Amino acid sequence: MLPDIDFNVIARSLPYLFRQGMSFTLTLTALAALGGLLLGTLLALMRLSTLPILAPLATGYVNLMRSLPLVLVIFWFYFLVPFVGQVILRADRPVEVGAFASALITFTLFEAAYFSEIMRAGIQSIPRGQLAAGYAIGLTYWQVMGYIIVPQAVRNMLPVILTQTIILFQDTSLVYVISITDFLGAASNVAQRDGRLIEMYVFAALVYFAISFSASRLVKSLQMRTAIPR
Amino acid sequence: MPMIEMRDVCKWYGPTFQVLKSCTTAVDKGEVVVVCGPSGSGKSTLIKCVNGLEPFQSGAITVDGIEVAAKGTDLPKLRARIGMVFQHFELFPHLKIIDNLCLGQTKVLGRSRAEAMAKATALLHRVGLDEHADKFPGQLSGGQQQRVAIARALAMDPVAMLFDEPTSALDPEMITEVLDVMVALAHDGMTMMVVTHEMGFARKVADRVIFMDKGEIIEDRPTDEFFGKPRSDRAQLFLSKILSH
Amino acid sequence: MNYHWNWGIFLEPSPEGIGTYFDMLMMGLRWTLVTAVLAWIIAVSLGSAVGVLRTLPSRLGVGLGDAYVEFFRNIPLLVQLFLWYFVLPELLPKDLGNWLKTLPNASFWTGAVGVGLFMSARIAEQVKAGIQSLPRGQSMAATALGLTTAQTYIYVLLPMTLRIILPPLTSETLNTLKNTSVALTIGLAELTARTRAMQEYSFQVFEAFTAATVIYLVINALITVVLRRFEKAIAIPGYVAGT
Repeated sequence: MLPDIDFNVIARSLPYLFRQGMSFTLTLTALAALGGLLLGTLLALMRLSTLPILAPLATGYVNLMRSLPLVLVIFWFYFLVPFVGQVILRADRPVEVGAFASALITFTLFEAAYFSEIMRAGIQSIPRGQLAAGYAIGLTYWQVMGYIIVPQAVRNMLPVILTQTIILFQDTSLVYVISITDFLGAASNVAQRDGRLIEMYVFAALVYFAISFSASRLVKSLQMRTAIPR
Repeated sequence: MPMIEMRDVCKWYGPTFQVLKSCTTAVDKGEVVVVCGPSGSGKSTLIKCVNGLEPFQSGAITVDGIEVAAKGTDLPKLRARIGMVFQHFELFPHLKIIDNLCLGQTKVLGRSRAEAMAKATALLHRVGLDEHADKFPGQLSGGQQQRVAIARALAMDPVAMLFDEPTSALDPEMITEVLDVMVALAHDGMTMMVVTHEMGFARKVADRVIFMDKGEIIEDRPTDEFFGKPRSDRAQLFLSKILSH
Repeated sequence: MNYHWNWGIFLEPSPEGIGTYFDMLMMGLRWTLVTAVLAWIIAVSLGSAVGVLRTLPSRLGVGLGDAYVEFFRNIPLLVQLFLWYFVLPELLPKDLGNWLKTLPNASFWTGAVGVGLFMSARIAEQVKAGIQSLPRGQSMAATALGLTTAQTYIYVLLPMTLRIILPPLTSETLNTLKNTSVALTIGLAELTARTRAMQEYSFQVFEAFTAATVIYLVINALITVVLRRFEKAIAIPGYVAGT
């Protein structure tokens, strides 16, 4: 026997769920993935360099982030960012940061650690000869990295980068713990307000599944097509 | 009665690509048959059909009177009686040499550990590797690994032995040590079916040579005839290619 | 910065009336560890089974295994926990649902099983990839010796697979530990939840979070060291992966 199920609650809340919730989730995912990839690449280059302080610093940062639960990191930044803002802006009280900015900073910094591992593997997979060939035509270290090594690494690692982005997309649901209205937050708000937990959580699961599953399918077909001919 | 008998064996990969075309031959007890032919001719597939490692769609194979493809055939039991040696040795890397020789004996034949160890030790002695019993496969050379693989197959007291290019993955200096073991085995009267390009070995011990091309058995004749008298153009071309260097 | 540091806070009694703030965190840690251990057992056993299933020559088996992995991999862990905690009891027959709802430590059981199932899909991926990375000749050689499919897996394929997947398995083990913190959303009083509670009671945000950070780092390091030792202990002399 089934409890009474009301599908109308979903239909009624669709605009709220998607226009507010999902657009927050997708924007956060896209920006954090971009920021995380950029910062992650920088961290990877630092780690692979022989720079005295920067290399171990980058390693330490990556290992620290990868050792902590994301939930804890979200709490950390939720409280830390206002204080850091205060120091930077020389304000006399902790700076109020909006929910979106706080989440974006958190996810960018957190994901950078994971993207840096991907980029490090990608950079290391490029044959040493490429570096030598770059130097041989007179490029500097940063030019070789920027024009030759990193583009190839990104291309080789694209499926992994995208897969990590799908994980990030799912992970953004954890902003629930600081009561931000992302997609799950929106679904949860409706669920609590109307007492419709079953409908809303099942619907949320279906939507997350549909998006993640189709995205991972796309990544897979991309992987087939771009398997680098050698 | 022949030990191994094949009648009209056909095999397709997918709906259109036929790897074996009506292959018919037989190997008598104690006979040594070498199978040769260009790569992609289906020779490896053919001998893998003998112990059911490769399924085939039509025709029949019997080993020691037992139908390989029959529904009621206990394939593990049948395979345990046919030894097989692979191109890439396929020793089990996580098991010591001695345990590689004992695994099948204890798990398939149900021999006691002591019995299996005694058999294994004797066989390692026979292939000249007594002192390596407690090493792992990765610590031996390719030639040594292949001799272990032969010993592993012999440990099951097989009624026939299948060799799938046993020396093709070996460095040249190691080929002889493996061929010597195989020659000794042939002289002991083992029934053998050997896929190989080693024509010296074929001349020395083979009773018959089968030449395959494009999934077909083109020639199936006594060794002297095969190497001596006129033969098919395709076999001639093949021999001239592999004997020229 | 007008933040008042007070590292002595850990020795002060917590307002819950059972010991100090330090004790409070330790109780949280205990729940984290118990949850992680149970989740890990579920993840490794189910993950291995599903991973093996997906390599068998059975279309049905592969299909079921794939469906299992896709289901648990494409829904966020948090949403999965909500499904098990809020939705499942309502969909079950009334008696069973009520039993689930009134289960003592329901959030612990749900959290452990939920994290375990979530992680099992990822471990299934590793196991499948590990088995498929072995040369095809290995299972052929085992089959040619007369070993059955089950024997081939137990004596030949799985021992090698274990050695190949230990490094990724280590990181999945750490992920299992970290993911238990998500169960705070269904009320499990694990380490991160207790840290948050300490921060709410005492307002010493950064001391509390620093303590939790250090504890997670230590546990991570311990797990890594133990698994590295195990990796070394079962390493095969002379074996180089990929040859």
